[in-house]
Amino acid sequence: MFVYATVWGGLARQAGLSLGEIVLMCLIVTAGASQFVAVPMIAAGAPPLAVIVTTYVVNMRHYLMAATLAPAFRGFPRRWLALIAHGVNDESFALAAARRNPPDPWFFLGSVAAVYGSFIAGALVGAVLGGLVSDPARYGLDFAFPAVFLALVAVQLKRRGDWAVAGGAALLALAIAWRVPGNWHIVIAGLVASGLGALVMQPEDP
Amino acid sequence: MRAGVLVTIVGMAAATYLTRAPLLLALSDRALRPPLRLWLRLIPLAVLPALAIPLVLLPDGRPALTPSNPQLWGTLVVLALTAARANLLLSVAAGVVVVAALRHFGL
Repeated sequence: MFVYATVWGGLARQAGLSLGEIVLMCLIVTAGASQFVAVPMIAAGAPPLAVIVTTYVVNMRHYLMAATLAPAFRGFPRRWLALIAHGVNDESFALAAARRNPPDPWFFLGSVAAVYGSFIAGALVGAVLGGLVSDPARYGLDFAFPAVFLALVAVQLKRRGDWAVAGGAALLALAIAWRVPGNWHIVIAGLVASGLGALVMQPEDP
Repeated sequence: MRAGVLVTIVGMAAATYLTRAPLLLALSDRALRPPLRLWLRLIPLAVLPALAIPLVLLPDGRPALTPSNPQLWGTLVVLALTAARANLLLSVAAGVVVVAALRHFGL
């Protein structure tokens, strides 16, 4: 987690985000994949709405985690839950859900604290180090963004349909991006390919 | 801090909170319906290639599906290593090194 955040912080800095912008994003967004997605868009001068909508779509998977966690937090004050909600993240969810069903709320919260702390610390270290490299393209660092996205997808591909969804989304996005300026190919291809996949594929057991 | 970037970050935070809070606060015991669960699982699998592949094959908006595109080779390295179950960051680092080397030697 720390290393992942360090990489993000370094890349964000090279993409021209200031230290303050990097820290703020880690504190109030705190969603690694979408932050990786947002940085090259912000660097390319994408309009705020495009970045925000793309962030929303990338993070829609949180609905799945929140719904699975909800029964574990029965009896917690709602005010706490409003705060705890901000801590929902892939790593803590995966750890807590793998241990018990419904997940242990206190184990989940402990993991959230650890993830949150190492995420912010890692991003800060990365941001400081990233400020030292002057020509990122020379070191291939601009390629780190697509590389992270592809690696994140590759480890999640399980069923044959998963491959079809990922490949179909890539082709559709290419076709749209070639003809239509802007960044909408990401959201459109993402929603269309995943929606078709969900319609065609056999739903799986929870 | 730039105003446009500030708006973007605050908007990202609000959009992300909207994906986390409602179903946790609903405290429902009912699991999401299977087709919906499947769709939510598939979304990142579709969004990430939709983002990555045009970055690699359409740099600056022009098609670059040629062997002289270093990022194409970097992509193949990343995919091969992750398929071989290599560590995620290791795969990314190897891809970056390949792209940097190809650019450096102008192959």
